[in-house]
Amino acid sequence: MPDAQIIFNILFSASVYSLIAVSYSLIYYPTKFFHIAHAAIITAGAYFVFFFVNKFSIPFPLSVALSIAAAVGIGLACEVLVYRQMRKRNVPALAYLIASIGLYVVLQNCISLYFGDDTKIINTAEVTVGNQIFGAYITTIQIITIVVSIALFIAVNLFLRFTSIGKSIRAVASNPELCNIYGISSNKVILIAFGIGSALAAIAGILSAMDTNMTPTFGFNLLLYGVVAMIIGGVGSTRGLVAGALLVATAQHLAAYYIDTKWMDAVTYIILILFLIWKPLGFSGKRLKKVEV
Amino acid sequence: MEYILHLLILICFYTLLSQSLNLSAGYTGLISLAQAGFYGIGAYTTAILSTQFGFSFWLNLPFAMLISGAIAFVVSLIALRTVEDYFIICTLGIQVILFSLMNNLMDVTRGPLGIPGIPSISFFGMSLDSKISFLILSLFFVALVWFVLKNISKSGFGKTLTAISEDEIYTQSIGKSVYQSKIISFTTSAILAAIPGALYAHYISYIDPTSFTVAESIFILSIVIIGGLGNMTGSFLAAAFLVLLPEALRFVGMPDSIAANMRQIIYGLILVVVMMTGKNGVTELFKKQSTKRTA
Repeated sequence: MPDAQIIFNILFSASVYSLIAVSYSLIYYPTKFFHIAHAAIITAGAYFVFFFVNKFSIPFPLSVALSIAAAVGIGLACEVLVYRQMRKRNVPALAYLIASIGLYVVLQNCISLYFGDDTKIINTAEVTVGNQIFGAYITTIQIITIVVSIALFIAVNLFLRFTSIGKSIRAVASNPELCNIYGISSNKVILIAFGIGSALAAIAGILSAMDTNMTPTFGFNLLLYGVVAMIIGGVGSTRGLVAGALLVATAQHLAAYYIDTKWMDAVTYIILILFLIWKPLGFSGKRLKKVEV
Repeated sequence: MEYILHLLILICFYTLLSQSLNLSAGYTGLISLAQAGFYGIGAYTTAILSTQFGFSFWLNLPFAMLISGAIAFVVSLIALRTVEDYFIICTLGIQVILFSLMNNLMDVTRGPLGIPGIPSISFFGMSLDSKISFLILSLFFVALVWFVLKNISKSGFGKTLTAISEDEIYTQSIGKSVYQSKIISFTTSAILAAIPGALYAHYISYIDPTSFTVAESIFILSIVIIGGLGNMTGSFLAAAFLVLLPEALRFVGMPDSIAANMRQIIYGLILVVVMMTGKNGVTELFKKQSTKRTA
């Protein structure tokens, strides 16, 4: 029965995209620029697992923990070594995006250089045969992905709403200068956001790579789906992210089912562009970008 | 010698591409990641017209420019409703859509199989088979585009574009149509990008979608950024530097497989450094340092 299968596939993709969108928006809220190098962090997370498992035969759970830590390290390095220096110099807003593209190119090619451009698979001990639910086949890793991303989504929401660090991230997102006046160090808050965002990105990368496979550029497409979900969902609304992710995933899978899988990318961007024409403020109705006057 | 000529021709292509992007990105401040897409439209139009209909280069070129310009015009009506970061993301989307059209429209473009057998250019019955004659033709186009852009930048319209890149609201307030000027700039930029596309198709005689990817767009943008926005000599020097870089790396004994990645790592790093200092291109980076030293 294909209907149940499509719904499961949509749920699975949507949970990966929303995890990426959440990880990305955590960084986007306080910094207000597109951190494209985030794509390399998604990729790096997955490749680190491959590296630790195959090179040092470290047990899988420990490898995952180490990989997340390593990915967080890269994310923090981007912030401390590049973006923070740029904020000090007060460079124009567009410079951040271009620098992050540069960073992405550097990181992605480092991965290509070390691991090669061929497709890699993360081997786990259990060979999964699809579980049959409502006539649809779904692998264990897909179920884990859906559960993990729902759990993390709730955790991030609670974190942003109730902890003091979460509140300061939201405070910096709304006005970094005022935060500095009130004694909230915007640098520290942004650093924490980069840390958490990178960890979530690595988790999304690992889960996605375990579901299928990975190449040094696979993070880029995933990130762009996440970004499209974020823009459609409306920047500033975490619930909107899920709606955006669901919409992107639904459109992709319907396109794959009714037209052809090869048009999935084009369909995603056509949705983005249609959204930018008719609803430039996204689902949630918040402003995408404050126009500087 | 043949190989050196080949490299010089490549430098011409990338100079043309970066100059064309310089009009929209450099003068108008419309940083676009879709330039490789328009380059591809130029190449595909040429390839299809010459292999299916037997058109010559001199007929292909205006068609390639026309189609690329028409698509850019339609696309710009949509994309230019967004600003800054969202505009870049939007052009990235356009690039992905253009690439997937080239890669998936099997009936028209033959998809990943590519289009082989594009004839070489003939000029008054004289075939430009040899690399040296092709280089001369490419140089002619580089000079032409350079001349055209120089004149645009000096004209009143060019000044309007510069004003837009600095302050859109101010430009609007003195009665210039910002939206319209941006559309003209973006479209012209795509029309110019079709020129290297047409040349490339005839030169290589075989094209496939892998030459017109997002990575290629990022590369073209890097040339413009490294050369300095709105700096045409800078774009030319940066194109020459980035084309010759893998050769230099090979010369110091680096294997091919590593050299390709190393080139990207090096230009990525240059991009980051240039952006971190907030300077406009590498040339300005050195200029400011030298003035600091004297001060």
